[in-house]
Amino acid sequence: MAGSHSDPLAHPEVRMGGAMRYIAGFISTVALMGAALIVTLRHDMGYETYVEVVGGLAALALLSQAVLFYGLDISRAQIWKSVSLILTVPLFIITVGLTVWMFQSLDQRTMVMPNSAAAATQPTLLQ
Amino acid sequence: MAHQAAPDANTRLFAPGFAGHSQISARTLGFWLYMLSDALLFTALFAAYAVLDTPMNAAGGPIASQIVNPVEGFWQTIAILGSVTAYSLATVALKTGNRAGVMLGIVAAMVLAVVFLGFGFNDLATLTAQGNGMDRSGYLSAYFVLILTHAIHMLFGLIWMLVMLVQIPRDGFNEMVVARLLNLRMFWQFQATVWVCVYIYVYMIGA
Amino acid sequence: MQVHVPGPWSPLFGRLTLDQIPYNIPILQYTFAGAMLAAIVVVGAVLYFKKVGYFWREWLTTVDHKKIGVMYIVIGLVMLFRGFADGLLIRTQQVLANGPNAPGYMGAQHGFLPPFHFDQVYSAHGTIMILFAATPILTGFQNIVVPLQLGARDMAFPYMNALSLWLTAGAAGLVMLSLFVGDFSAAGWVGLIPLTELPYSPSTGVDYWMWAIQISSVGTTLNAINMIVTIVEMRAPGMTWFRMPIFSWTTLSTNIIGLTAFPVLGVALALLGADRYLGTHFFTAGMGGNLMLYTNLFWLWGHPEVYFLILPVFGILSEVVPTFCEKPLFGYVTMVAASFAIAGVSWVVWLHHFFTMGAGPDINGFFSVATMLVGIPTGVKVFNWAFTMYRARITYTVPMLWAMFGLFLLLAGGLTGMMLAIPAVNYTVHDSVFVIAHFHCMVLLVVAAAFAGVSYWFPKVFGFRLDESWGKAFFWTFSIATLIVFTAMFALGFEGETRRLDWTFNTAWKPMLVVEEIGMILYVISLACFALMLVFSIVNRKKNAAGPDAWGTSRTLEWLTPSPVPFYNFAVTPQVNTRDELAWRRKHGLDKAQPEHFEAIHMPSNTGMPFVIGMLAAVWGFAMIWRIWWLAAISLTALIVCVIIRSFYKNEGYHLQPEEIAAMERDLALGSVVSEQPDRSHHHYSHVEAH
Repeated sequence: MAGSHSDPLAHPEVRMGGAMRYIAGFISTVALMGAALIVTLRHDMGYETYVEVVGGLAALALLSQAVLFYGLDISRAQIWKSVSLILTVPLFIITVGLTVWMFQSLDQRTMVMPNSAAAATQPTLLQ
Repeated sequence: MAHQAAPDANTRLFAPGFAGHSQISARTLGFWLYMLSDALLFTALFAAYAVLDTPMNAAGGPIASQIVNPVEGFWQTIAILGSVTAYSLATVALKTGNRAGVMLGIVAAMVLAVVFLGFGFNDLATLTAQGNGMDRSGYLSAYFVLILTHAIHMLFGLIWMLVMLVQIPRDGFNEMVVARLLNLRMFWQFQATVWVCVYIYVYMIGA
Repeated sequence: MQVHVPGPWSPLFGRLTLDQIPYNIPILQYTFAGAMLAAIVVVGAVLYFKKVGYFWREWLTTVDHKKIGVMYIVIGLVMLFRGFADGLLIRTQQVLANGPNAPGYMGAQHGFLPPFHFDQVYSAHGTIMILFAATPILTGFQNIVVPLQLGARDMAFPYMNALSLWLTAGAAGLVMLSLFVGDFSAAGWVGLIPLTELPYSPSTGVDYWMWAIQISSVGTTLNAINMIVTIVEMRAPGMTWFRMPIFSWTTLSTNIIGLTAFPVLGVALALLGADRYLGTHFFTAGMGGNLMLYTNLFWLWGHPEVYFLILPVFGILSEVVPTFCEKPLFGYVTMVAASFAIAGVSWVVWLHHFFTMGAGPDINGFFSVATMLVGIPTGVKVFNWAFTMYRARITYTVPMLWAMFGLFLLLAGGLTGMMLAIPAVNYTVHDSVFVIAHFHCMVLLVVAAAFAGVSYWFPKVFGFRLDESWGKAFFWTFSIATLIVFTAMFALGFEGETRRLDWTFNTAWKPMLVVEEIGMILYVISLACFALMLVFSIVNRKKNAAGPDAWGTSRTLEWLTPSPVPFYNFAVTPQVNTRDELAWRRKHGLDKAQPEHFEAIHMPSNTGMPFVIGMLAAVWGFAMIWRIWWLAAISLTALIVCVIIRSFYKNEGYHLQPEEIAAMERDLALGSVVSEQPDRSHHHYSHVEAH
């Protein structure tokens, strides 16, 4: 543990920060969320297109955070964080995606929707 | 195969003076892994929310579009992103060992976080006062618990920041303090990342 | 928003009243007497031999990964015994309560356990075996072996390692406490919903189950982080990824599962807790709850958990088989790939636990195919072990016997698992004891590998081998008992016996139930053999004393250290030149080489804080179970304050000086008293000042 005697402020994870990068991260995320807000308030798309559009904007916002704020890359200091994140992202998709798929099918087969009019005006992922 | 090679004059059996790993790197990697674990926790909550987000699960109570306000959510988005940016700028000041700069950034992050939490708790209190608390329906249970779990994470972040405001002047930027400041940056950023998902999924797609 | 609970509640004691102590149930009277007797013997011995200080300094406050590992395994073995006692009660009840004319004893209509008590017994059996026996034992092996195999001095976070242990210990304590204060869950180890909801399970049993699992899974998650960081950051120089021993590889893959799966369990139980404590409607039958959501979340964790248990087992087999075949493992790279393939596929199979939910053919088909895919990497592993044994000079030691029996169980359990992966078959045998027999083959594979590991690594930890003859007696009685019980159980499954029956109504089942009971008696005999094995091993410890390489044919770095391992592990960090480093060194006559000079070693200081935090977590759990709000608030606050206080500590450990290491290494080389002085580290520890 000889590393414990070197200057902590010289550590690569301290050195990697940059004011411009963080401000760019702030602006890009707020802009993407603002765009999603405008799309939402206009209410002029079909439900599926709308979900795809805002989902895409959210994915861009998450990507900009990963690169600009978390500073993920394949440098020696960050490689294991990047690798572990890439290994985990499929689990996020599996957990939510397969659950939604499963219950969508289950609801269609076993649940009688009592309020089908309300369901038509308020679509959710399960319908 | 390479591992069958016979030893020769250059073969070393011991590594005296082996430097070992960096404490800071081990701590940030460990904390990053904790955050991935925490991310799975939120993922499971999102899965629960998705299953319970149907008119039937609202059980006659309000559905998403009746309780969420995407415009107000946008102000919350700006507040929380401002908070994490303020904290990130504090870690830029850390590069030069500027104590005042780091502490100023942390205080700014705390103020903006309190603004964010104020919006959230106000929403939940209003709903509860209207008789639409978390015990009203399956849908509202999922909504409340998702928002509250995020808020509790933020509260722990605020406690952590208070501790750092004591430790920075007391201990200076030693190895442990620097590792904690770096971990807290990831933790704080993670709250904004979760919020982006909550905002898009609950406040926009639900609206 | 406190929900209304049935029965009395007072601000001071919550739901706790004197009638919650089941002093009038005969079985619990005997259990209580036995537990008290054991406690008096242990505590009395500690006091009589004046070892209180020793226990505090050397065990309760230790951050040494080997001692932490030993404590994990001791907790696991104690809980294994408790779980076995539950299993014995279940089997005995079912054979006594067979048919309409079966007599009843001790207040039961049939057999000797009333339904509510029987339900608690099987719920406790499952919960304990999976989470408090198998998990701690395997975690213990990982703790002891992985840092040594990697050539490291300790885990990445020694303090957090102790914290994980004491959280697990606190949770295990809560499960044991449920025997004597209140009751345990009667809703199965999976928490059958909506039976676990407050209106249907109004007592504190479900709360015990829920909080104990929550606390222990925090410990498991922290341990997973610790293991992964240790493997990524702390390998000795030259230990490239593809020189890592297979046990370390499987530890990595299993802890990736642990890290990602346990939070989902945490959510499932926390939402159930919200239903029980805050009156929400996640899983309630009305008001917009969704029952199957709980089942989904539980098995979303539950299936990865199965592989969380099985992967380290594969690692143990991969260490034991090559050692006693005196050959390198066949197909090292495919073994690594198969471990990660299993870990990956484990995440997309969970619906096969509830095919009968009715999600439709597309979904059942998807999960059926995914489940069958697991067979491919598992098959690769089985063939790798088989080819390692093929034309090898096999030494039939006790660990090797356990490993071979484990392979047999893997085959039996795996093939019946393939049958269950077919939805049509699954609909037919769903919830029958055929399923029970299948997964008991798998979990007994875990037990077999655990005993393989115990007998294999015991000399490394304690400096002497376990008694071989009694070890073999234990092996043969245990494995024959396993075959008797579970062959009969497969047959009963085909005869239509469903699981969790407190009264086996069909008299046609009687012969097979009797066969099962005979197997259980043989299990009891095997336990006696285990106890005698320990006794004779300790008596004959001089005769069975082991050198660094206890088996003479082992292949990995842990066998380079003296037995028992000194607290600093390696006097000088080894330089790794190849895969199976020790086998290579032995082949070239380098295994006895000693370093020429020593350098100072940095060691972490012992601390009592993890113990305190673990106990505070248990107190908090107890307060939440009994709804004693003031105690819950105080213990949680104290816990957080302890974490903060710890962050203000400035003690960064101490340095062992080269001359001290040289002196200790000289002692060890003489090999005279090593096995009798497990506390030798303390002798040197006490006079080294923190710097």
